[in-house]
Amino acid sequence: MAKVGREKEGTWESYDYSLLFLTIFLACFGLVMIYSSSSYIAEIKYKDAAYFLKRQGIAIVLGSIAMLVISRVDYRVFLKPLPWKGINLTAVFYVFALLLQLYTLFFGIKINEARRWISLGPLGTIQPSELTKVAVILFVADLIYKRAKILERMRGFVYIILFVSPAIALIGKENMSTALVIMGITFVMCFVASRKKAYFFGCAGAAVGGIIAIINSGWRSKRVEIWRNVETSEKAFQIRQGLYAIASGGLFGTGLGESMQKLGFIPEAYNDMIFTVICEELGLVGASAVILLFLLLILRIFKIAINTNDLFGAMICTGVMAHISIQVIMNVLVVTNSIPSTGIPLPLISYGGSSVIFLLMEMGIVLNISRNVGRSQMAALNRNR
Amino acid sequence: MMKTHSRRSLLLVNAVIFLLLLVLIGRLAYLMIGRADYYSQKIQDMHERERSIKAERGIIYDRNGNILASNRPVCTISVIYSQMTDREQVIQVLSDELGLGEEEVRKKVEKVSSREKIKSNVDKEIGDRIREYGLDGVMIDEDYKRYYPYGELASKVLGFTGADNQGIIGLEVYYESTLKGTDGKILTLTNAKGIEMENEAENRIEPAAGASLYTSLDVNIQEYVQQACEKALEAKNAKRVGMIVMNPQNGEIYAMANVPEFDLNEPYTLNIETEGELTQEKKTELLNTMWRNFCISDTYEPGSAFKIVTAASALEAGTVTRNSQFYCPGYKNVEDRIIHCHNRSGHGAETFVDGIKNSCNPVFMEIGERTGIKNLYQTFRKLGLFSKTGIDVPGESSSIMHKEENVGAVELATISFGQSFQITPMQLLTAVSTVINGGTKITPHFGVRTVSADGENIRVLSYKEEKNCVSKETSETMKDVLEQVVASGSGNKAYLEGFRIGGKTATSEKLPRKSGKYIASFVGFAPADNPEVIAIVMIDEPEGTYYGGTIATPVVSEVYANILPYLGIKKQETKVAFD
Repeated sequence: MAKVGREKEGTWESYDYSLLFLTIFLACFGLVMIYSSSSYIAEIKYKDAAYFLKRQGIAIVLGSIAMLVISRVDYRVFLKPLPWKGINLTAVFYVFALLLQLYTLFFGIKINEARRWISLGPLGTIQPSELTKVAVILFVADLIYKRAKILERMRGFVYIILFVSPAIALIGKENMSTALVIMGITFVMCFVASRKKAYFFGCAGAAVGGIIAIINSGWRSKRVEIWRNVETSEKAFQIRQGLYAIASGGLFGTGLGESMQKLGFIPEAYNDMIFTVICEELGLVGASAVILLFLLLILRIFKIAINTNDLFGAMICTGVMAHISIQVIMNVLVVTNSIPSTGIPLPLISYGGSSVIFLLMEMGIVLNISRNVGRSQMAALNRNR
Repeated sequence: MMKTHSRRSLLLVNAVIFLLLLVLIGRLAYLMIGRADYYSQKIQDMHERERSIKAERGIIYDRNGNILASNRPVCTISVIYSQMTDREQVIQVLSDELGLGEEEVRKKVEKVSSREKIKSNVDKEIGDRIREYGLDGVMIDEDYKRYYPYGELASKVLGFTGADNQGIIGLEVYYESTLKGTDGKILTLTNAKGIEMENEAENRIEPAAGASLYTSLDVNIQEYVQQACEKALEAKNAKRVGMIVMNPQNGEIYAMANVPEFDLNEPYTLNIETEGELTQEKKTELLNTMWRNFCISDTYEPGSAFKIVTAASALEAGTVTRNSQFYCPGYKNVEDRIIHCHNRSGHGAETFVDGIKNSCNPVFMEIGERTGIKNLYQTFRKLGLFSKTGIDVPGESSSIMHKEENVGAVELATISFGQSFQITPMQLLTAVSTVINGGTKITPHFGVRTVSADGENIRVLSYKEEKNCVSKETSETMKDVLEQVVASGSGNKAYLEGFRIGGKTATSEKLPRKSGKYIASFVGFAPADNPEVIAIVMIDEPEGTYYGGTIATPVVSEVYANILPYLGIKKQETKVAFD
């Protein structure tokens, strides 16, 4: 067996350029749609039609630089043991994220009744929960990498959940939907890693049953109430307007920039509701194309995950894949009023600097793992020689 | 290396994601294609349900800048269930201030709806008072209600507006697009969780007020005219009296009365006493009758006043001259029947001029016979008797004329003195104006110019004119002859010291004949040599004396006595030619 030098950092031949291209394409498409959906409001509020476009553009440039840099740094740097016993960078990163969440809870900035942001002074604000998602993916991947066997029993799953629960609790208070996404990511990662599946189906079944029971029990949360009375409830205004936008799209849409509903009818149309503007302007064909692009992106990550010879890398890919797919699915479910409304941005497309920067960083790690794929394949080649 | 079971799990997860995404596309297809019609209706409803700010409707002025129709600020009071903090107080205040029953208000306040209207058309003062209570969840939207300062004046001409400030009849309908303006909108924003967004100013699209309309109506003339008509209506216990006063040179209408008029501020209150409870159908019918502008919407047989048109047609065709000689034995044989003159003993030997002065039917039957239907109809057509006048109020009727090929000797004879066909009073007035103004057919109208709300955009309305519909000579002859009718003929009751007036009387028996119902009318203009004003009056179903020359002529004479000096028409020496 030929020795493959780690210092050579894999091969560029296996670098997943399709993934890179897809990612950048979706982000740029997002820019176009943000401009389309926000220019009217931006002109009114900030006297600058490109206000949101510029801010998101800067975030995407920064995020892309970070992505390219990270894609060149070996991701296994996270596994390097630190001076303290049993501690590595994933744990440090995770604890740092928890502290930021704690800070946010007390000193964060409130926007639209929710305290989710930290001020960076003149640099604007960031949403630490986006960073926490990355931290959780790395941390859980590390836990599974080190103790893969424990998941064969339900106790091991509970053990991992216990580790993640501080993050869920800290975020959940102000941002239930992000907490749900983190739960989902953790669940999918554990499910993929575990040899035994029964208790996962049990858990999933119990969760679904519980939700149905709650909805039917007569206990009405405000959101369920709004969801059920989307046509009449005063509070369903945004969702209702979104539905109107979607239904206005038809097969081919009204044309890019031609949305009526973005003209003050859908509040913050460039945000979580951006998919409705895509539907209205690009029609069923355009909206389906966007969904299929996400599917392609997910399949690229899937391919990297199964081809890597490193469990840590595979688990990171699984986490990133779960992150993107859960958000895409929940976002579209919400805007089509298929589930009670909860604020989840459409990855890479919705307006939001923190969201896009950290997601691009995640993609940077995945791209780095893709280079590792090549190395393992070469190693296999060498073995067979 | 990833374990085989993990690869399989990952594949499973991917399959689930794939399926879910397919389901989402399916859901989108359902919403975007399957439910498109349903939602497009909803979207329309929504736009209507947004709080709209009504645009101020344009003002209607008379020729001197007097306001005929304007707007009074009113309020619409509504409540928003979810925003009310103290429902009891809201019920208390609203029922007190609006004078509504507590139960009625309670039912609306406690109804779980996004927005419930309590009362509209509330006086602005009351709205302001309610606003001062500062009640949460009570919305006071300002609005405008059409207001007509003169009440009954020219009611059927001006028209009124409905609940959405849209014109229902009259000028309000005809100039709807000018007057209406563009409504504004208020949008309230909430985010995905339904929280009303702070610092998010209400998205307000300002309304654009409608343009104002300056009309040719003159409040003073209209008042004189309406009073004179009412007086005649009462004196003769007639069914209705209509009168139009117009400038025959350009078609500007100074006044148009259709008595009994109704109060424009109460357009749904009948102006007649009714017995017992009316069915909805019956009431609608009565309202439609009340709103009817019969000067333009109803046709009648013009009778002797139409002899002006017959005479002008004959002069045009050259079949008679001023001095043509006729003989009236009191009747004329037409085919197998005898048609009498109103003077059964006969007028004896007459000239053309005498024939008009005496309003002698045999003379006109003779004129008609000499001229022939082809020549008559040619001039009728030029004078606009086969088409609508094009007046700028809705509901104008067309004339009912014989087809040229169906006109036999009897029809020709009766047409010649104004019977067996129907036209509107407006058509007759337009035709006569053309005859006496030198031959220019004018379009009668009210609208003179529109002025945008900011006063910057002024549009002068123009109307079609057709020159040389009759020759100058015919026009001069007719003016002279018609002046003699008033000075010494059947129209002598219109004689007014110091003013030269021309005109023609008419008494038309309504159909069916022998029912004893008549329309007495008179068309008159002044000054006779250079007409500046022309008027027609028609008294429908007078009791007692029904001759136009006796009862209709004095109405015009009375109006002229007032308005001729008002219009600045100088007194001059009048030709009293008792020849």
